Amino acid sequence: MTAHAAARRRITTAFADAGVTGQLHAVDIDTGTALGVGSDTLVPTASVHKLCLVATLYRQSSLGLVDPTRPVDIPAENRAPGATGLSAMRDAARLSLRDLASLAVAVSDNTAADLLWDTLGLDTVNATMTGLGLTRTHAVQTMRELFATVREDAAGEPAALTDPAVVARLRALDPTRTNRSTPREITALLTAVWRDEVCPGEYGEELRAVLGLQAWSHRLAAGFPFDDVRVSGKTGSLPTLRHEAGVVEYPDGGRYAVAVFTRAASTDVTLPAADAVIGGAARIAVDALRT
Amino acid sequence: MDLLLHLRYFRTVAEEQHFGRAAARLRMAQPSLSQRIQRLERELGVRLLDRGARGATLTPAGRLVLAETDHLLAAADRLAATVARVHSGAAGTLRAAVPPGLGATAVAALLTAFRERSPGATLELRELPTAEQTAELTAGTLDVGIVRHPCPAPGLAFGPTLHQPLGALLAADDPLADPLTGPAELPAAALTGRDLVLFPRAEAPALHDETLTACARHGCTPTAVLAATGPDFTRGLVLSGGAVALVPRTPDEAGTVWRPLHGTTVTWRTSTAWPEGKDSPAVRLFTDTAHTVLREHADMRTAPSTRMVFPRPASEFPL
Repeated sequence: MTAHAAARRRITTAFADAGVTGQLHAVDIDTGTALGVGSDTLVPTASVHKLCLVATLYRQSSLGLVDPTRPVDIPAENRAPGATGLSAMRDAARLSLRDLASLAVAVSDNTAADLLWDTLGLDTVNATMTGLGLTRTHAVQTMRELFATVREDAAGEPAALTDPAVVARLRALDPTRTNRSTPREITALLTAVWRDEVCPGEYGEELRAVLGLQAWSHRLAAGFPFDDVRVSGKTGSLPTLRHEAGVVEYPDGGRYAVAVFTRAASTDVTLPAADAVIGGAARIAVDALRT
Repeated sequence: MDLLLHLRYFRTVAEEQHFGRAAARLRMAQPSLSQRIQRLERELGVRLLDRGARGATLTPAGRLVLAETDHLLAAADRLAATVARVHSGAAGTLRAAVPPGLGATAVAALLTAFRERSPGATLELRELPTAEQTAELTAGTLDVGIVRHPCPAPGLAFGPTLHQPLGALLAADDPLADPLTGPAELPAAALTGRDLVLFPRAEAPALHDETLTACARHGCTPTAVLAATGPDFTRGLVLSGGAVALVPRTPDEAGTVWRPLHGTTVTWRTSTAWPEGKDSPAVRLFTDTAHTVLREHADMRTAPSTRMVFPRPASEFPL
């Protein structure tokens, strides 16, 4: 275990070097061997909670309770705020539930996610998590509602979100008042998805394929810049928060679920080192699990 | 008038001393041969042969011209042969280059094998880093080179790719080098926490990064990366203890020991390169020779089976 202790020390140092505090949990999906730093700390999940949402869609589909191909009308108005996907688009559209799930994962589309929250309901998603034994993973709001609290708390220009005093009072950053989980429970969810325990067969395969669509490589994937290593992940971001949880698969069959949650001291929106340390810390953990 | 051709006809008639027999030997009509000899005599302004009923005999002038003709035709034959050998790559000067660190044995074997295959040719071999080789190939001051990949491709053609596995050069008293307790093949991860000696990044930035990425991919995270250009300095750093050099197979000498990495995890891709469309016979001969020599004397192997590639959405292209 001294090797794991050394890895934990290196992870803590890496977080400090990058100017963040962080929690991490990494687990070998097949053996259950795990390594963590603050694994059971309750954290605000931000967009990482879309993992729970999309997993619930596929679980409900596999149980015959939801048709994932059901089309949804998307009006031009009242979309959840967001920089990507339907949130950034202007005109009415029509997409299936599972294509909304793809958008919610690939570009963290808040509108696509909210249409799924509206369809499935917070309670169904929470019940699904409880059913998987994840009792500390809980959603209290949709993305739309989450950003409403941010607007209220900031009560000012967007620049207010880089004001340390404003950031300090955001409810969206308080895990007792927003969507929440722990690093250990998020890797448990990913482990269940990869072990076909959330939904079996083709539903499981499609769910994993959807989770592989995420387009951003500056966080978790940055730590594994290898052609023959597959990284699936879901990011989460709010002022000072940078997260990503995902699964790293090696060609020798090794597969590892990793969740990294960070909070930066700086309120700057652009902090490349803070993004990169998510991959860096995950690599240290996975390397330790592989030796 | 084709002087050399006409001189050949003249020599045949002189040897046969008879127009009819000479024409038969040359497989041509006698009147045609006679006309050509007359034309040669007009051209030189001297009578070469006396024609009689029993044959043709050389005049005194003809005897002198015949002697010169022999010299001239022999020289022409040598010229033709030389041209043919230049065309076949067996003669001429080939300007070629090898990358640093190819190893003394491989360089010697390359020179020897090329000389054996092409005795008349001169191989002008220099040691140049890949970046300088590609610049010179493009500029036309180099005919062919052995390059390390990644190598910029525009305007260049490449021979088949070979893989040269890297191993660890250790101090002989290093626990990892112990023949009894140390592993015969080192796992890359065993080098974690050491100082790693590698060629200077400026020499080939892409290869430098690719090498360290391959190490990282297999669980080796060095504490520091030290730059060394030549084998002596590299060995010195290793001998001082603590540092491990990442180099292709190297003979064990002067207190150092080379160990392969388990599973040939880190390799340098190597091939010949020449300006596109300029694969002269000499270039092809060099390429073939290099391919053989590098496999026999530089521990290079043909490409391993295709490896898995998972392109990511951010790569913006599907495979």
